[in-house]
Amino acid sequence: MEKHSRAIVDFYRNTKRMPSYQEIMKLTGFKSKNAVFKLINKLVSAGLIEKDSTGKIAPKRIFGEIKILGVVEAGFPSPAEEELLDTMSLDEYLISNKEATFILQVSGNSMIDAGIMPKDLVLVERTNEAKPGDIVIAEVDGKWTMKYLRQKGNQMYLEPANKKYTPIYPKEELKISAVVKAVIRKY
Amino acid sequence: MLTSQPLSLYSFPRAIVHIDGDAFFASCEQARNPSYKGKPLITGKERGIASSLSYEAKAMGVKRGMRLSEIKKLCPQIIILPSDYETYCLLSKRLFEIVRRYTNEVEEYSIDECFADLTGLRRPLRMNYTMMAERIQKDLAIELGFTFSVGLGPNKIIAKIGSKWKKPAGLTVIPAREIHLYLEKLPVEKVWGIGPQTTAYLNKNKVFTALDYARKNEEWIKKRLTRPFLEIWKELNGHFVLPLETKEKEDYASIQKVKTFTPPSRDPVYVFSQLSKNVENACMKARRYKLEAMRLYFFLKTQDFNYRGAEIKLSRSSAFPNEIIRIIRPLFHEVFDPALEYRATGVCLFKLKPQSSLQLDLFGEVLAVEKFRKIFESVDVIRNKYGKHTVCLGSSLLANKSSQHLNERGDLSERSKFLLPGETKRKRLGIPMFLGEVI
Repeated sequence: MEKHSRAIVDFYRNTKRMPSYQEIMKLTGFKSKNAVFKLINKLVSAGLIEKDSTGKIAPKRIFGEIKILGVVEAGFPSPAEEELLDTMSLDEYLISNKEATFILQVSGNSMIDAGIMPKDLVLVERTNEAKPGDIVIAEVDGKWTMKYLRQKGNQMYLEPANKKYTPIYPKEELKISAVVKAVIRKY
Repeated sequence: MLTSQPLSLYSFPRAIVHIDGDAFFASCEQARNPSYKGKPLITGKERGIASSLSYEAKAMGVKRGMRLSEIKKLCPQIIILPSDYETYCLLSKRLFEIVRRYTNEVEEYSIDECFADLTGLRRPLRMNYTMMAERIQKDLAIELGFTFSVGLGPNKIIAKIGSKWKKPAGLTVIPAREIHLYLEKLPVEKVWGIGPQTTAYLNKNKVFTALDYARKNEEWIKKRLTRPFLEIWKELNGHFVLPLETKEKEDYASIQKVKTFTPPSRDPVYVFSQLSKNVENACMKARRYKLEAMRLYFFLKTQDFNYRGAEIKLSRSSAFPNEIIRIIRPLFHEVFDPALEYRATGVCLFKLKPQSSLQLDLFGEVLAVEKFRKIFESVDVIRNKYGKHTVCLGSSLLANKSSQHLNERGDLSERSKFLLPGETKRKRLGIPMFLGEVI
């Protein structure tokens, strides 16, 4: 199996796509698609590839596989390369759900004890799953407000991070639009 | 024939959803600024007409395309905003990305609507088609902050009927075997692709509802109508005929640039400079897609909304504004009437073909073309780097020097009025902002 999976990995490396059943027949020298089917099932259960709804195959842990093969074939992989694989961009670091992320520019100092200053940019994620303890963006009287979400018994309320401000207890429904995920301050 | 007889025996031989933004531009504005929520609002200030209206504005009787002065009379408290296409585009891309979480087969039909093929996903996603449609709709509402209407059907035409059935925030599921129940209530002109001409013809033949149309036999349709209407007929009967176009748009049939300016003008030099600017922009777009035009027409729009223009056939395809303007200029003076006031100019390049490879000719034309190509390659680089209007032809200078609108229509969108630290006018953060008052 290892020989065959290596052939598939090499194919993927060269062409940037997974081979078709027909192509796997050529790569492995199998005489039937049924044999290919069985090989694929083995690779799927080994967690190396996966099948989509149409039965076509997609790589899963294939890069992990390449690394191990690298050890066998070419000695030690370069440490620089290893580390490259594990880095993320600042975007990825700050943003988890790209489609739901918006920016809000802070004004006022009601959250100053949480380290959020006027003019800071906060990255907020629209969600309906805000939890007590989160810093949230809520809608109050047609304005945005950023506060800690707190809970006392069944009552949810908004608490500023500045002693000079008082907590906001909603008279009706508390309209929470988003949760703060990160703060950006450029100097 | 009994009207209760289904048109098809199946439920979802294919499962297509159509997702349609509810008052998309107006909703983008209301979602990012809570002070606009629940209020009548329109966008399109810069065009002088309503281009998108909130449901509250619709309820007040405001219609798309209405002039601002008329709207203000009808609804004095209305909020009128300049369009912020930068933000609408960002949110449009997010719409498509969210739908792509479920399937790769997505057709980006327009800025605020798309089709998606969900066929075969029931097992991998472990839910039925209705649940998928609900999930997509819910994701969109939560993550973008405003609602979408969704139609689920066995093909594009039926899915589109579904998304229009109940708006806003509607979800209409039409399995093939229930199509007839919807079509009997739907006037035939409401079917996507059936225009007023065809409707008049069909009405004459006693076809009034979409069901009347679907119940005709294939021969009847084939004998009287063209192929697209046969395709519509098949889809109304529950078959999947129209494929989803999931490739990004790469070629253009034509490129059009039209710009209104205020106040209107009788000055031929100024009006020509406006036209020249449009020609430059259209050519720039053509060059970006490596296209050249064989034909073009230009027009001038008068203050009382009449159009005058001329069509031009080029002897050689071109995407160089200096060449095109030289040809337009004499015709412009024929069309331009100093007794009239003008409010807009436009140009349309068509019969586009890929940038030609050069053939040697007798008259040394190749050398001239090669020279232009080099010049405009540099122009494009400069414009991409420093902004569209940093380099322009002398004939466009007057239009580029003055603001397009010298009254309130010149208002910039709220987002383009400020720059975040490090942003430039040409380069902004690609993440939409919450606006309005923050407390």
